[in-house]
Amino acid sequence: MSLSQFAKAALLVAAGLLFAAGARAQDLEIRFKTTPQIEHLRPYADPATMSLLIAGSDGRPVRQGTVHIRLDAPRSGRFFSTDFPWVEGSRLQEMRLDLSQGRANWKYLFPIRGQYRLGVDVETRDGKKASKEFTFRIREREEKWAILAGFSVALVCLGFVAGRIFTRVPAAAIALALGLCLASDGFTANEKASDGDDAALEIEPPTVGTPALLHWHAPVAATGEGSPEALSLSIVHLEKGKTAFELERIPIVGDFSMKFEFTDGAEYRVSALGEQAGKPPRRSEKIISATALEPPTRAMIPAFAYFIGLIVLGLGAGRWSKRGRVRGRA
Amino acid sequence: MEKIFAGWLGLGVSEQSSFLIKSAIFLFVCGTTLFVALGASYPAVHDTLHNARHALAVVPCH
Repeated sequence: MSLSQFAKAALLVAAGLLFAAGARAQDLEIRFKTTPQIEHLRPYADPATMSLLIAGSDGRPVRQGTVHIRLDAPRSGRFFSTDFPWVEGSRLQEMRLDLSQGRANWKYLFPIRGQYRLGVDVETRDGKKASKEFTFRIREREEKWAILAGFSVALVCLGFVAGRIFTRVPAAAIALALGLCLASDGFTANEKASDGDDAALEIEPPTVGTPALLHWHAPVAATGEGSPEALSLSIVHLEKGKTAFELERIPIVGDFSMKFEFTDGAEYRVSALGEQAGKPPRRSEKIISATALEPPTRAMIPAFAYFIGLIVLGLGAGRWSKRGRVRGRA
Repeated sequence: MEKIFAGWLGLGVSEQSSFLIKSAIFLFVCGTTLFVALGASYPAVHDTLHNARHALAVVPCH
């Protein structure tokens, strides 16, 4: 076989393999939806029910399989940061769920505005695989933009008034000594005690911006039996009183692990309820405190530059208005 | 009176320079106040103004 013949054969084989892989992936259809719809979701408003439906080529839900889910936070904006800069671009969730009637459902409270990326890898019991990435945008709460607009107007007005006052008196400079010293020694909260009365739930000490490993394990007596246990897991933001994440009665055999980012430096209650037929339910609960981090300087500079810029604008406008009036009188 | 006092101290400056100096001092005071209110991590200030910081949408918090 000549070299060109060999190259052609290799190309044909590669093309065939690619076609087969594509056809195989196309056997499964992955659908994603949220309730309420994405356009109605707002950061830290109410948790959304996230649903994945995996269907075969015939449109019927896949009976058995697992789905690997990765949720990534929006990347940093071009100029302004969000109010949670450490969350930007980080991995919010990573978990593997068993499909139930082709579905996987969970609840999640989105922390910031922007474009999220949800990566889904599906593997059915009969070996079929498919992957898909969904992107969707969460818009900021309208009242926040209104408050920012009001604050911006107030800063311009402040500068305007100051500009007029400073223009009126062309006199000496007044020396003003300011000794403002700020001792900022950070406010990172330490992890607080957890009421680990049941060791079934283990949580890595969480820090904002880094996913923490959350591990739930069945009791030693149950692990060997192989019978599925229905696990309900919820993470509640105590200060806001909102559910940040929730899984309801997902079938688990053995242990369950997931990576979850606690996006706010606050206290959370993590509750797990394991239910198995013929046995009393096992409840585990922990109160954890996510360690907060001081915002990075690169995230603070644009906001403060914007605010100072507004005051400068007001100063200029105030001076211009005053001098214009004086010229008009002359 | 202010002019006489300024002249006596040797601080007489043009109106434009006066405006610039006053504006610079004003901006420094405003900037410091804004930083303390919206950027300082001192717990007493942070906790009091935590909600205000988040309400402004573009001010980074923890």
